Amino acid sequence: MTTGELGNILLSAHAGVGLRSPHIAEVMHTHPAVPWFEVHAENYMGGGPAVRALEQIRQDYPISIHGVGLSLGSADGLDARHLARLKRLVERLEPVLVSEHLAWSIAGGAYLNHLLPLVYTEETLEIVCRNVEHAQTVLGRRLLVENPSSYLRFAGSSIPEPAFLTAIVRRTGCGLLCDVNNIYVTSRNFDQRPIAYLEMLPGDVVEEMHLAGHTVNDADGQPILIDDHGAPVSDAVWELFTLAIVRFGPVPTLIEWDTNIPEFAVLVAEASKADRRLATSRRVTTNADVE
Amino acid sequence: MPTWSELQASFTRALLQDDAAVAGAVLGDGLVPEARIAIYRHHVLTTLTDVLKATYPVVCRLVDERFFAYAADCYIRQQPPTGPCLFEYGATFPRFLAEFPPCCAFVYLPDVAWLEWTIHAAWYAEDAVPLERERLRGVAPDDLAGLTFTCDPSVSYVSSPWPIERIWRANQPDADPSETVRLDAGAAYLEVRRLDDDVTLRALAIGTFAFRATLAEHRPLEEAFEAALAADPDFDLALALQALFAEGLVVDVVVSLARKEIKWQSPQTSISHANR
Repeated sequence: MTTGELGNILLSAHAGVGLRSPHIAEVMHTHPAVPWFEVHAENYMGGGPAVRALEQIRQDYPISIHGVGLSLGSADGLDARHLARLKRLVERLEPVLVSEHLAWSIAGGAYLNHLLPLVYTEETLEIVCRNVEHAQTVLGRRLLVENPSSYLRFAGSSIPEPAFLTAIVRRTGCGLLCDVNNIYVTSRNFDQRPIAYLEMLPGDVVEEMHLAGHTVNDADGQPILIDDHGAPVSDAVWELFTLAIVRFGPVPTLIEWDTNIPEFAVLVAEASKADRRLATSRRVTTNADVE
Repeated sequence: MPTWSELQASFTRALLQDDAAVAGAVLGDGLVPEARIAIYRHHVLTTLTDVLKATYPVVCRLVDERFFAYAADCYIRQQPPTGPCLFEYGATFPRFLAEFPPCCAFVYLPDVAWLEWTIHAAWYAEDAVPLERERLRGVAPDDLAGLTFTCDPSVSYVSSPWPIERIWRANQPDADPSETVRLDAGAAYLEVRRLDDDVTLRALAIGTFAFRATLAEHRPLEEAFEAALAADPDFDLALALQALFAEGLVVDVVVSLARKEIKWQSPQTSISHANR
């Protein structure tokens, strides 16, 4: 298949699966009926068997590259070496989508292995926009930026997160990756309504959605939701996903699972569940087009 | 209000050094701000500990998981990753262990750790095409001594006064649990390499080890030969070169720049003389 044909499958808004190393051999041997895969960029920046396996999988499936280490929120700007490696990977794999996070992980030369929260101000909006523009220029393509899950807010924030994301999109021309579970986790952690968050995002800029599970921990008698990607998607997130499809239309959606990784079939079943919801909306869209 | 750069620096100190200053910039939202910062710190330290544990399973087994977690915590706080590719994280952990006072009694531990790092690095090394031995035919006899080699990027040469290969093998998941290793069982001279998508560990004769380890450091053939002879007076250079190519260890050969410069010196001098 050509890149164009592969891309059409992805862009026809089916539910894909995040490809993780325990499943690579199975995917190569069984060629499962999964519409597309997303991979974490940083796992494929070296050489060896894993990279070769991905290049082979890439022949049969559309690929989306999801970065976790670009640190779009870094005041110091982007790490040039890392951006160059991302560019090489993008050139090699020709992914249909490339995405990153509204977060930071690099400061003073240290990489803190987490999507850390930003203060939302005019100052950081300018920093993030500059970094997104830099990345888009170097990569020569649009980036999708994902909303983070958060466990704290800075007192100095003056812009609501969805408004901050909207401003990034308007200023840089990037797209949004709407992580429905992250909206739920963040909203619940700050006693806000997930639906209100969803409604503050513009309807026309979401080009991909993510779904994953979370856990509920207890902190001094108060529930804290942790976005650990280690469980099935919760009922509340499925409901929010249904509303998100109504708002954003049927867009390519991904099942992510990163801790307590189950059998591959479990991921495929979750993706089918997402796909059925997307299919309902696809039919509605098609009927409306006919009328 | 601090700049974002200052806030990032103090957040980093809060995560790695338990510095409380940033808490003043964080909303409690029903909790103490420190509890919220602790969620991030916990994630950073535990996920990076898991990365080290996956790279150093034998060290973890040798020192016990709880001690390993303690050592990893200290290491991560002192030497956090410098980039987002975590398969590159942990190269300095062996040196850290060598200088970590609670580990002093385990004299062989840093060498075992280094062996594990080279095995890990072999998995992620770039692929390279071995060079045919015929490439050497075109090299002028005068240039042979100064040749430098680039070896297969997955190859490492690891030596230790301790029997680290035996220790490593005795601590694999499928090893016989009753097996014991005597610490005076002898030194190890090992070649670690990825071959056919599998990382192999091979003991070398001391002369071969000295020869290959010297070449792998991009030092000239002449020097590698001297090192090999010092280790083993019966070392056979022709056989060693043949084996080096037959095993596909060489991916590039360069005629020493230093010698070339010497060679080119006279024409350059005459040109500059003519210009004057």
